[in-house]
Amino acid sequence: MDLVQLQRQLVEYRTSLYHEGFLDAQFTQLQELQDENNPDFVVEVVSLFFEDSERLLNELTTALEQQSVDFKRVDAHVHQLKGSSSSIGAQRVQKVCIAFRNYCEEKNVEGCLKCLQQVKHEYSLVKTKLESMFQLEQQILSAGGSIPM
Amino acid sequence: MAEKSFETTSQVCCSTGSESLPILASPMESPLRKVLSRISGFVPSWGKKTAPPGRRIFHRDVEQDEFQNGTAHCLSSYYSVFVARLAIMVMLAILIGLLTVLTWHFTRVYTTKSLNTLAYGLRYELLQRPILRMWNILNSTSEITTAQVKLSEYVIRRYSKPTNQAEQIEQLYQMMKDITWALFASRKALNAITINYRNGFVQAFHRDHRSNNTFYIYSDLANYSISDTGSYDNKSQSSRQGWNDQFIHGNVSAIWYRQPLDPLTGEKIGKSSQIPPEDLINIAGPSQVPDGVASWHVAVSKYTDSPLLSAALPVWDASNKSIVAVVGVTTALYSVGQLMKELVEVHSGYIYLTSQEGYLLATSTNTPLLNNTAKGPKLMMAANSEDRVIRMGAQWLQKTYGNKFPPGHVVHVEKANLGGQHYYIDSFFLNLKRLPIVGVIIIPRKYIMGKVEERALKTLVILISASVCILAIGCVCILILTNGVSKEMKLRAELISHLDARRRAEASSNYKSQFLANMSHELRTPMAAVIGLLDILICDDCLTNEQYAMVTQIRKCSTALLRLLNNILDLSKVESGKLVLEEAEFDLGRELEGLVDMFSVQCINHNVETVLDLSDDIPKVVRGDSARVVQVFANLISNSIKFTTSGHIILRGWCENPNVSSDSGKFSPDQKKPMSALKTKLKHGNHMKKVSKKDNKMILWFEVDDTGCGIDPSKWESVFESFEQADPSTTRTHGGTGLGLCIVRTLVNKMGGEIKVVKKNGQGTLMRLFLLLSTPADGLEQQRQIDFAKHSVAVILALHGSMGRLIMSKWLSKNGVPTLEASEWNELTQILRELFHARTTNSGFDTHYSLAKPLRSKVQTLQDMKKLVYIIVVDLGLLDLSTEIWKEQLNFLDKFSGQVKFAWMLNHDTSNAIKMELRKKGHILMVNKPLYKAKMLHILEAVIKESYVEPQNRSPNGTKGTSKQGDSHECLEIDSTQFETCSSDDSDISEMTGANSVSSVGIREQLKEGTILKSGPPTLRNCLVEFTRLGLEVNNLRTEEDQCNGRPKFHDTKDVKCENPNSSEQPLVRSNVKDRDNSYTTNKAASEQKSLEGLRLLLAEDTPVLQRVATIMLEKMGAVVVAVGDGAQAVEALNCELDGDENRTNRLQTEICDSPPYDLILMDCQMPMMDGYEATKAIRKSEERTGWHVPIVALTAHAMSSDKEKCLKVGMDAYLTKPIDYKLMVSTILSLTKRSTKG
Repeated sequence: MDLVQLQRQLVEYRTSLYHEGFLDAQFTQLQELQDENNPDFVVEVVSLFFEDSERLLNELTTALEQQSVDFKRVDAHVHQLKGSSSSIGAQRVQKVCIAFRNYCEEKNVEGCLKCLQQVKHEYSLVKTKLESMFQLEQQILSAGGSIPM
Repeated sequence: MAEKSFETTSQVCCSTGSESLPILASPMESPLRKVLSRISGFVPSWGKKTAPPGRRIFHRDVEQDEFQNGTAHCLSSYYSVFVARLAIMVMLAILIGLLTVLTWHFTRVYTTKSLNTLAYGLRYELLQRPILRMWNILNSTSEITTAQVKLSEYVIRRYSKPTNQAEQIEQLYQMMKDITWALFASRKALNAITINYRNGFVQAFHRDHRSNNTFYIYSDLANYSISDTGSYDNKSQSSRQGWNDQFIHGNVSAIWYRQPLDPLTGEKIGKSSQIPPEDLINIAGPSQVPDGVASWHVAVSKYTDSPLLSAALPVWDASNKSIVAVVGVTTALYSVGQLMKELVEVHSGYIYLTSQEGYLLATSTNTPLLNNTAKGPKLMMAANSEDRVIRMGAQWLQKTYGNKFPPGHVVHVEKANLGGQHYYIDSFFLNLKRLPIVGVIIIPRKYIMGKVEERALKTLVILISASVCILAIGCVCILILTNGVSKEMKLRAELISHLDARRRAEASSNYKSQFLANMSHELRTPMAAVIGLLDILICDDCLTNEQYAMVTQIRKCSTALLRLLNNILDLSKVESGKLVLEEAEFDLGRELEGLVDMFSVQCINHNVETVLDLSDDIPKVVRGDSARVVQVFANLISNSIKFTTSGHIILRGWCENPNVSSDSGKFSPDQKKPMSALKTKLKHGNHMKKVSKKDNKMILWFEVDDTGCGIDPSKWESVFESFEQADPSTTRTHGGTGLGLCIVRTLVNKMGGEIKVVKKNGQGTLMRLFLLLSTPADGLEQQRQIDFAKHSVAVILALHGSMGRLIMSKWLSKNGVPTLEASEWNELTQILRELFHARTTNSGFDTHYSLAKPLRSKVQTLQDMKKLVYIIVVDLGLLDLSTEIWKEQLNFLDKFSGQVKFAWMLNHDTSNAIKMELRKKGHILMVNKPLYKAKMLHILEAVIKESYVEPQNRSPNGTKGTSKQGDSHECLEIDSTQFETCSSDDSDISEMTGANSVSSVGIREQLKEGTILKSGPPTLRNCLVEFTRLGLEVNNLRTEEDQCNGRPKFHDTKDVKCENPNSSEQPLVRSNVKDRDNSYTTNKAASEQKSLEGLRLLLAEDTPVLQRVATIMLEKMGAVVVAVGDGAQAVEALNCELDGDENRTNRLQTEICDSPPYDLILMDCQMPMMDGYEATKAIRKSEERTGWHVPIVALTAHAMSSDKEKCLKVGMDAYLTKPIDYKLMVSTILSLTKRSTKG
């Protein structure tokens, strides 16, 4: 593929991610932090996020399957998830987390389960989006081009 | 007695009734009328249910409008109230009725009972007496009869001897006559005594009661013989016909004589006359005693109109075998009737006696007792009596009982209806042998019970009326009571609903504010992105000029939009109560100076002069929210600038200590009002009071005075409302949303102050406000004033702006510095010439200007003073810059350079050429334009200092200093541009502050430290960075001495005139420098700055992602970051380092042991194992033994200010919210590390 086309595609894709609310300014900051010293910073942080989130989501799932739900624990997990998602700029995950925490405060199991599904959904969405974006970037890099900011 | 008691009770009833009624009537009148009207109001509404009666009737006196919406609600409640009232009334009615009836009943029953008993006794007594009389009569009659019989027996026995029969008989009769007379005479009541002998001879005495005559009646003796036994036998055998009345009457052969007698003596008083047998009285014959026993019967005679009671007894002969004669005694029953009449006269009523058969024997009336028939008078039946009552009574008795009388014939009837009237009827039976008698008494009920019943009726009426009255009153009371209660209830319900509504309204307003806050936050983020992207775009080189211009335009618009959003956010923050003012010390004067500097740039474009006039008593350092204070003035000044096209804007400030109660009258009298308002406010808020006691609360007064278009007095209040402008039409010309003043007012109020528009002389607006700021407890140190007088300086102010010049000269002369003023070039030359005329030669400039008198005299006095150091503050605007003349003017001034020092006031756009020229000429004192005290002070100080060091340093430093000065001016220029970028870029509210601090830094730097900068504009940044780093190094490694001096080493050779007046200012300045630096670096994200170089940071964060991001962020800025996963690890790491420090101490210089292992800790609040709060507490605890204070910055996702409180409470120093804002984090870290190094 043409390099320029790829680059444009990446830019468009990224813009659409911003536009659709998957990412926010925080992600931009992340990208700004990436430099020669940390060439894979964004990917590193995002994969950290994926690991952490998957762990948290698993724990949340088990926690909510319990007979008596320990809402404090759930809340702590959701809080962590919220923190990490907000720091990579995964805005939509973060928003669902906020709703999730509200349900936790109300001790509403059904609401929590619903939110858990939503979080999972949002998470998988943002994961695929980011992954495809990274793929694009990789393609560009392998083609010898530079990633447009 | 019963009657009496009854009477008294009834009297009481009467009296109470009659008394209470009029009393009650008068106060009850109006409520009664009300009730009546209300009832009348009910009726139609009752009829047509559609009408809301509740509204019309109940709330007549309450405002109807209020209840308009609650009508339906009222209706139902009204019905329930009505039902409740009805129930209460009915119960009351029943109670009162019951009471009345019971009272009446018991009274009546008791009375009636006792009365009846009495009446019965009376009746019995009344009846008893005639019967007794009757009994007496009977007795006496029988006694007499018996006596007569005995006497007769005796007489007959005596004369029964057959000897001389004729004579004997004569004697016998004579004897009998005497005896009988004696008996007869002794008994006046007797009607007659008769003796009927066996032979038919009859002797009788008769008393005619009517004529009061007494007669002796006898039959002819010739035909009879006493001893005629045969005839006697015969007679006895034929007694059936012989001894009856017919026999006697039919004894035609016998001749009856009647002889009147003297009633007293019995002497014959007339001749005996023959009488027909019809005139005979009843003579008892043997027929009446058929069995030889006494007999009784009632007879009638034609001589009396009353029945006669006659008794008959036989007289037996000696052998007691045959009846010799029959004695009959008749007594008139007249006396009984008499007695009855007497009785009845006393007591009313009727009494009568009848025989068992019902024949009347005696009555209490005068009606005849006998029937006059053809066969002579006959006894009458009681039922046929002529007296109506008796007749009816007898008939009633007969009808009721018939022949079946109750045993003993005793009847007591209490209420017999006789002819429409009620009577008591009592009968009594006297069972005499052969003559049973029945006595009946009829007493009209009216006589005994009449009064009673009448009274009872009256009492009943009174009772009923009284109870009705009570009932009515009770009902009215209930109505009034329930009305009041229901009204109150209704009002309460109203109140509750109002409160509810208010709460809801407040909540909704809160929602609105929250929504606004959220919205503006949401809006701000994309705006920031837009601006950032635009900045990137502007940096792009490939833009055409046109595109560049457009993008710049967009950039400007975006900035404006962002500012608007910020305003809205501010407002909604305040409204939703989320705005928390911080309490920090700050230099008020410096902040305001910076503000004026900033706005003066704008003002110069507007041809408006900005003047800062702060009085000397304003404390240098105050506690408060500097950003907000600055925001207040920034808004006010920008507002003024917006509406001022020419003239000046003055920001005045003075101070008033509320603890020092009254003032010296320095201020206008209208100031008293806000003062009192403040006092009430202070009194009002308990908290405030406490604070003002504890702290040194100061009232700082400020005025923003402009010469703009002014505000209409009617709008003075409303301009502070949201989205309000004094003149709506101005929006078009001036723009703006009208939020500025609103924010100002809310902020001022929040700081315990007030703002208002004050009437001012002349054109323009005068806003006056006061703020309640506390000064630090120890911070009341008086502003150090240099005694300028002893330095013998004089200042010539050659400035354009008249206001600023005036104020400055006033202040200078107050401080003992003589001043001269010049507003234009010619004036200046004139003054100069006057001052130095001896030494000056005219260089061709016109001299025909002569100074005004006062000025001349001033000049004269100045001339008299020797050895003055003159400072001429020259506005560059005085020179004619449009042509080349200014160079000549400069040359002219240069002539005086030996005697005077020049300080040049530059415009912000003064061209470099001019500056270069000035520098070439050796004019090194240059300041940017708005001249205020601090700047003046620095000029003076610099001059004084220079005048001291000049002799030594002049030759080596002359040129060098100049060139450095030039650099500083370059720097200044850059500053101002940079400030613009910076301020627009700053997305937070701190925009103004940031800008302000930067600009003030710029100026300050120029004054104090600018000379250190060696390189030109492009390398400035690096220089600054370098400087920062150097500064840090200095702080960390340099000796104490250096820090105290506040003069880094490399200053001293170059900086001759910049002796820092306050050494304490140094760190602050430096931090400012760094702030600026940071904000700059964030502008250009790609820049390679290392603002955190050398800092060792500990990051406690459990989320790996965040940990990584933050680490990279910090490392990129050159900080050394140690990241740990939770609070416990953080504490451990710190302690570890502490221990490790011990070892290192020996290796490194001794200086290092003074500082803690980490310069700063970034602490996530919510972490597993040990959260940030706990960790902070632990760290602070362990620090107690070392005496360090490692700054701890909280990182939290909780964005509420309560969390901030919590963070600060546990000992954290600052507070950052996630996601981490790059710039904010850096500035926070820097300010904290600064503080710590300073301490």
